[in-house]
Amino acid sequence: MSTIASFGFWSFVGIVSGIYTLFALGVQVQFGFAGLLNFGQVAFMGIGAYTMAILVVKEDLNMWVAACCGVALAMFAGVLLGLPTLRLRADYFAITTIAFSEILRYIATNEDRLTGGSQGTINLAGIGRTAQYDGEWQSFLGKMERGLHIGGDAAMLIVVWAVALLAVTAVWLLMKTPWGRVLKSIREDEDAVASLGKNVFAYKLQALVVGAALGAIAGLFYAWQFSFFSPDDFAPLLTFFAWMIVILGGLGRAWTVPVGAIVFGVIFAGTRFFDFPPFSLLDSTERAYVRLIVIGVVIIGLMLFRPQGIFGNRKEMVLE
Amino acid sequence: MTVPILAVREVVRTFGGLRAVDGASLDVERGSITALIGPNGAGKSTLFNVVSGFLPAERGSVQFEERRIDRAASYRIAQRGLVRTFQVPRALTRLSVLDNVLLAAPNHSGERLSGLLLRPARARARERSARGRAEELLALVRLEEHTHDYAGVLSGGQRKLLDFARVLMAEPRLVLLDEPMAGVNPTLGRQLLEHVLQLRAAEGMTFLFVEHDLDVVMEASDRVIVMNEGRVIASGTPAEVRTDSRVVDAYLGAAWST
Ligand SMILES: Nc1ncnc2c1ncn2[C@@H]1O[C@H](COP(=O)(O)OP(=O)(O)OP(=O)(O)O)[C@@H](O)[C@H]1O
Ligand SMILES: [Mg+2]
Repeated sequence: MSTIASFGFWSFVGIVSGIYTLFALGVQVQFGFAGLLNFGQVAFMGIGAYTMAILVVKEDLNMWVAACCGVALAMFAGVLLGLPTLRLRADYFAITTIAFSEILRYIATNEDRLTGGSQGTINLAGIGRTAQYDGEWQSFLGKMERGLHIGGDAAMLIVVWAVALLAVTAVWLLMKTPWGRVLKSIREDEDAVASLGKNVFAYKLQALVVGAALGAIAGLFYAWQFSFFSPDDFAPLLTFFAWMIVILGGLGRAWTVPVGAIVFGVIFAGTRFFDFPPFSLLDSTERAYVRLIVIGVVIIGLMLFRPQGIFGNRKEMVLE
Repeated sequence: MTVPILAVREVVRTFGGLRAVDGASLDVERGSITALIGPNGAGKSTLFNVVSGFLPAERGSVQFEERRIDRAASYRIAQRGLVRTFQVPRALTRLSVLDNVLLAAPNHSGERLSGLLLRPARARARERSARGRAEELLALVRLEEHTHDYAGVLSGGQRKLLDFARVLMAEPRLVLLDEPMAGVNPTLGRQLLEHVLQLRAAEGMTFLFVEHDLDVVMEASDRVIVMNEGRVIASGTPAEVRTDSRVVDAYLGAAWST
């Protein structure tokens, strides 16, 4: 009872929703606007987080510089992933993206010396030495807390949402430009777009890379929020969370993403408090699965009664 | 004779065992309005797909303005000034009618991220001028009332008109139209023909179009190319073609030649 009413708990839900907003916004750019079925979005999150952590711990790099490197490397990985695969048919591309994210996760699990292996970033500095990459982040939050007279959770909440809303605004504006028009047209009919002299492949690549950058930024906040992470944090399930958020909110619009992320965050966290029958018959691990089932049921219900998502456009759904 | 704007030589394209285009050769004169006719399944649309880079040719060559284009990507061919429409119109249904036309604007700096971020004023100016042109074209095809509707609400005939406006927006030098009049009301069809003649006179645009209505073909075109079973079997002025016995046998039928 005390948890459900506590600021600490709900600010945690808020922070995670903000991180998911950035993460899912990448999928919105790629799929909602450009029609790319990227099922490996979590890979970009992992690349952002790991690059930052590794450069800080092993190379003693300034954390902000390391963070920029993380985003840049994720974008570069987007190019590498896209170059051979974006000419494939949509379904083959989708399969390749899952493989891409899983291969990276296996590498992170097995390359102990580079990543700390399956034990995660705690192991980054080698056995017996605790590694920490977020010192600079904590001191930055500390300054904010003192300056604004707020708590640590509140500071994090503000930073995450400021960046998330900035990103949503940027995507929203971008989609109203002629560049965004080409992207949306590709989602509709790429042959028609090519017939009018647009290099479809180049636009798809750009959409993939923009989405990769957003995924990497989400990864940075993920790393800073949890102070520690391991390869298993970047399992395919996370990518599907992003998809659920995009579908919940509504496809093809920037502002539906934070809405979807908050709804998802609240359902996901709220189902923790299902301690009444029949849920009270389950133990806590079983209850964790129930949360996923609840979200699945919500999505199925949404598809039946509101296929356009919470704020999507119904009219667009019925056009052929 | 002047150098043709489009020269197709011995092009072959098969689907499994079916020789859809089977050694077709043809020339299109610059500034002409050329009709491509032939019975259903003659290979007209397939030839369009090969010429515009949507299907690779298995054999043969295609030259546009004296440059080989048979290995070029479809978007590059369009950028060079050869733009086509599809037999089944390709409306981008969840975009507005206006956006459908604007998409075709050539050399639009606002379509590049660099152009948007580095020179936003220039991109905006280009968008304004494109918009002016797009509105003119929509008025021409009588779709101005639908400017802000989703293209998905348009009827089949209206989508043909949208495609027509879009292809002109691209400012091509050679336009390939695959049955542009299908489903379009005849009065408006006439007006579009007028406009085609005007564009040819004013801008020297060249048109190659597939059309089944032979009255339209005879009236509108100055050259006619006849295809049958993947080959070009005759070409010439409308008067020459209508009396050619091979054409009459293969396609037109005795009743029509009278
Ligand atoms: N993608 C394809 N796969 C298999 N067969 C095809 C394909 N496209 C066309 N064909 C076949 O190739 C032949 C030529 O078709 P095409 O569409 O070029 O004819 P057309 O002259 O345009 O006919 P129409 O006047 O009916 O439009 C037809 O037999 C058609 O069924
Ligand atoms: Mg055809």
